[in-house]
Parts: sequence; C-alpha cells; structure tokens
Amino acid sequence: MKRSVPFEIFRYAAILAAMAVTLVPILWMVSMAFKPIGEWSATGADLTWWPKQPTLTNFRFVFGESDNDLIVALDHTALKPILSSLLSAVFGTAIAMSAGTAAAYGLSRFGSGQNLPLALIQLRLFPPMAVMIPVMIMWAFLNLNDTWWGLALIYGIVTLPFAFWLMKTFFDDMLREIEEAALVEGCSRLRVFTRITLPMMRAPLASAALFVFILNWSDYLIALLLTTREWVTVPVYMASLSSSMTGQLYGAKAALGLIAAVPPVIMGIAIQRHLVRGLTFGALKQ
Amino acid sequence: MSAVTATILENEMGARTKPATPDEGSRLGFRLTLPAQILVLFISAFPLLMQLYISVTDWSPLSGAGWWNAWEMWNSFANYTDLAADTRFWSALQRTAIVMLVCVPAEFLLGLALATLFADEFPGKRIFYSILLMPMMVVPAVAGYMFFMLFQSGGPVNDILSRIVGTPVTIAWLSDPNLALIAVMIADIWQWTPLMFLILLAGLVGVPEDQMKAATLLGANAWQRFTTIVLPKMKTIIIIALAIRVIENFKIFDTLYIMTGGGPGVATETISVYIYKVTTQDLIWGYVAAIALAILIVLSIVAVYAMKRMAKAREVPA
Repeated sequence: MKRSVPFEIFRYAAILAAMAVTLVPILWMVSMAFKPIGEWSATGADLTWWPKQPTLTNFRFVFGESDNDLIVALDHTALKPILSSLLSAVFGTAIAMSAGTAAAYGLSRFGSGQNLPLALIQLRLFPPMAVMIPVMIMWAFLNLNDTWWGLALIYGIVTLPFAFWLMKTFFDDMLREIEEAALVEGCSRLRVFTRITLPMMRAPLASAALFVFILNWSDYLIALLLTTREWVTVPVYMASLSSSMTGQLYGAKAALGLIAAVPPVIMGIAIQRHLVRGLTFGALKQ
Repeated sequence: MSAVTATILENEMGARTKPATPDEGSRLGFRLTLPAQILVLFISAFPLLMQLYISVTDWSPLSGAGWWNAWEMWNSFANYTDLAADTRFWSALQRTAIVMLVCVPAEFLLGLALATLFADEFPGKRIFYSILLMPMMVVPAVAGYMFFMLFQSGGPVNDILSRIVGTPVTIAWLSDPNLALIAVMIADIWQWTPLMFLILLAGLVGVPEDQMKAATLLGANAWQRFTTIVLPKMKTIIIIALAIRVIENFKIFDTLYIMTGGGPGVATETISVYIYKVTTQDLIWGYVAAIALAILIVLSIVAVYAMKRMAKAREVPA
C-alpha cells in the first residue's frame, strides 16, 4: 500500500528514536571498555560520552597485564572464565542437540515419545531457581560442582526443550520423498536417518545449534550456583570483579561485558530467520 | 518472509506424526527418544521427590548430616506454615507481579507499535530490523551491567536529564527503593521489547493484504482496519507472545540481580532473588525446598489451565 509523505516522516522519526534507545546502552558499554581509568566515573561536565584517550588497557588488564593506575592484581585472569564459558556452552549445546535431534526425529517419523513435547515445555516453564536445590545436591554428590562438564550437563538439559522443538518443526516441514525413495531402495531406517536425513538437514541443524549455544552462553544464574572458583563463567567472573578495596572496576567490567556480548549478537543476526521459530517453540514460523 | 503458520502443541502432533509401524520403526523411534527421556526423568522425577522429602525437614547443608538423613530433622509441615506467614516471601511475590504487570504490557505495546511501522517495505528496513533486535541477544547479565552503569548518579541517564532540565541532576536511581524498581523495569523493557516486536511482526505480515484493501474500499479507517481485521487474525500469536513473556518475566533474575542485588534493602527483591538469597545466605534448604515446591505446584496448575484454554481457543479457527 502506498503511504503518504507525513506517514513516512513519522515512521523514520519513530524508528530513529527507537534506534537511539536501543543503541545508547550498548554504545555506553563499548565506550566504557576503551576508556582510561581517569574517565571511568567522571561526572557532570567531565562526563565523556566517547573516550578522549581511547586505550586497550582494560582488555590487557582482564587478561592479566598489571596496570600502573590500578593497584589491584586479579587473582585469576579472564582466560579461564572464557574457556569455561566456551567449553560448557559448546558441550551443553552438543548434549541438547544430539538428544533433542534424535528425539525429534523419533517423534516426527515414528510417533515415539508422545509425552516429550509437553514434558519439555513444562521444563521450560519452571523458574530454574525453584529446582536448583536438588540439582545442587545431586551435582555435589556426583562431584560435578565447579566443573565445566557439570555445567555442560545442566545446560544440555535446560536447553533440550529448544533443541527438541526446533528440530521437530524442521523434521515435520521436511519433504519425505527422498527418505521414502531410500527406504524403497532397501536402506534401513537408521541408515536413512544418519546418511540421508541428517546431511540434508545440515543448515537447520546449524541454526538450531547456534540458537541453543546463545542460550547456554547467556546463562548467569546456574553458573552462579554451580561454580565457585575454578570454572566460573564469564558473566559470573564479570560480576565478581569488584571489591570494597577497588570499588567498581567500570572499564574492566565493560571490556569483559563486551567480550561476552559480541558472540551471541553476531550469531543471533546470522540466524535471524529462525529466531521466531526458536523462541516460540516452533509454534510460529517466519 | 512468507506467510505465517500458527500451530501449537498437540494439534500439530496429532496431525503430522505418522502412526508407528510396529516393527523396525517403533524400535528405532524408542531408541532415538530414549536419551531425551532419560534426561527429562533425571531432572524431574528424582529431584522432585528429593525436594518433597527435604521440604518437610529442617535440613541444611551445614547440618552435618547427608540429605538422605534429613528425616532426623523432620518438622512435620512447619516449613509450609512458615511460608504462609512469611511476609518477605509474599512481598517478593507481589513485587514480581508488579514488575510483570508493568513490563509485559509495556513490551507488548511498544513491540506492537514498532511491528506496525515495519509491516510494509521501506528503504533501510533490513538494517533497522537487525539493529532493533540486538538487545534481546545481549547476555542478560551484561545488559544488567549496562544499566547499572547508565543509572549511576553521575552516569549518562542523569547527564541526559541534566541537559534537558538545564540544571545538574543527580538522582541516585539504584539506591532509592522506588526508583530502583523503575530502573530494573526499564532494563527489562529495553531487553525484551525486541522479542515482542519480532514475534508480532511475524504475525502482522501474515495478515492478508486483499482483506485490508477491501476494507479500505468500504471506507474503514486505519484504526477500524486494525481492530476488526488485524487483531482478530493475530489473536493466537498475541497469546503466544504474551505467554512467553509472562513465563520468562516471572523468572526475572540476571539483569535485576546485577543492577541492584535485590536492594536497596529488599526494594527490588523478586521471587527468584528471594529464593537465591535464602539458598546462598541463610542456607535453610529445607525451607527453600518448600518455597520452590509451592511455586512449582501453583505454576503447574496455572499451566494446565492455560493449556486447556488454548486448546479450546484452537477449536475455533483463527
């Protein structure tokens, strides 16, 4: 439909306002990450919206290089938390995706596990805080506390609903002709799944895996409860990075926040097409 | 973007799944679903029983005895009666409700307004769209830290306000009980309006163009077209979008905890924050188990009721 000129003006004005609100918080953190310590908490007339003397000191600091302006030394650097975040999110994604994909295929093609769709939605419904007591006890019993593999296991379970539902809708939408042709040719059903269906679904699998990875990477609460020192993840490490002695380490925390925020934003934009499907458990397709 | 298909839960399962073939198919199906079944059982059945067991005792990780010996600290149902009288719990629940009642409608209305602006093509649409979606992809804990910085008394929010009013503004947002709650709600709205926008836009582009044209010819104005054609068509999608945000908003923790830690005092203490504090600071896990179980039961009842309603709504073609 053709729109009038005043409407177009209004539209751009409204969108630009929304863009400003969207971007200011993000840009403030980006700017903070490159500010030298003197500009961190400058207020009033001295407040700088953009660093006057941009510096990489904050990034060097979180990776362990000592700084003359900051008397504090970190008891451990950001490297291990980054490794912890990566390992737990990657392996958590692997658990969710393999269990979820297999189950989704089983339900979509053979009608097995009719209880799963609702059971998994319910799993998502409950606040993690309301089931964490038994999980903490079980994890302590299994010696999984404060390990990246313990985190990976709980992440795999927590994001299983998304992996399952996403893959189920992908399998449901898929054309069955090739699978059926292979069956007629005498291929076993398992072979059809592993040799034909899965390779055909490479792109949907990749989108679903990225979606699940973003969710795992974004966790804070579970890591806060299940890790204490050795394997804290980036968000937990970031939040703990201030003490009564040093006050807020604004720049250093902003640098860490930037490191944590960049991967999911890039991945999210890459899988934009599938976001609606993922977030609504496949109820909506774009 | 193509047409939107809205199908939910069992409706889809019933229509799309092939009947299991007795032989190879059902055996393979069983084996394929087994890992997921085990994971679900591992995280639901045993933990729930354990939670139930601990919730009728005074057990705490500091009590020296393993959790299986918690029966020695049996306190009948004191935890549950304590809960009924726990004013801190009830005010946390009330606060959670307030946050939800402000944030979800605000996110919905803003998201709907934005979606309406994006319903047809215009230059720059794709890039604006991508940028507007960014907040929901930011790690919530990091978003919490962003807003923690923004709302410092010498921070950028006050700086903008100072420029508008002309005199220096030094509001201590996060240490004032009322303003702190407003600040955490602003952060939530900032982060999750994009989700509403995304889902509602997907619904909006599914509204048939020819119906809109016909209505225009019949003399319906934009508002009438919106209320009589667009809204009824989007009913299911609106319900889904609201349901998702209500569920997620109820769990609110990350952004809020990083911004205020539930404070000042208990001014921003929501249910999740309250349980977290009792778990990690007071360490009375028997009591926590009782709170958690009570919440799970109430949520389950709400969920079953909501799903029944949704099933009923689905019988009427959208």
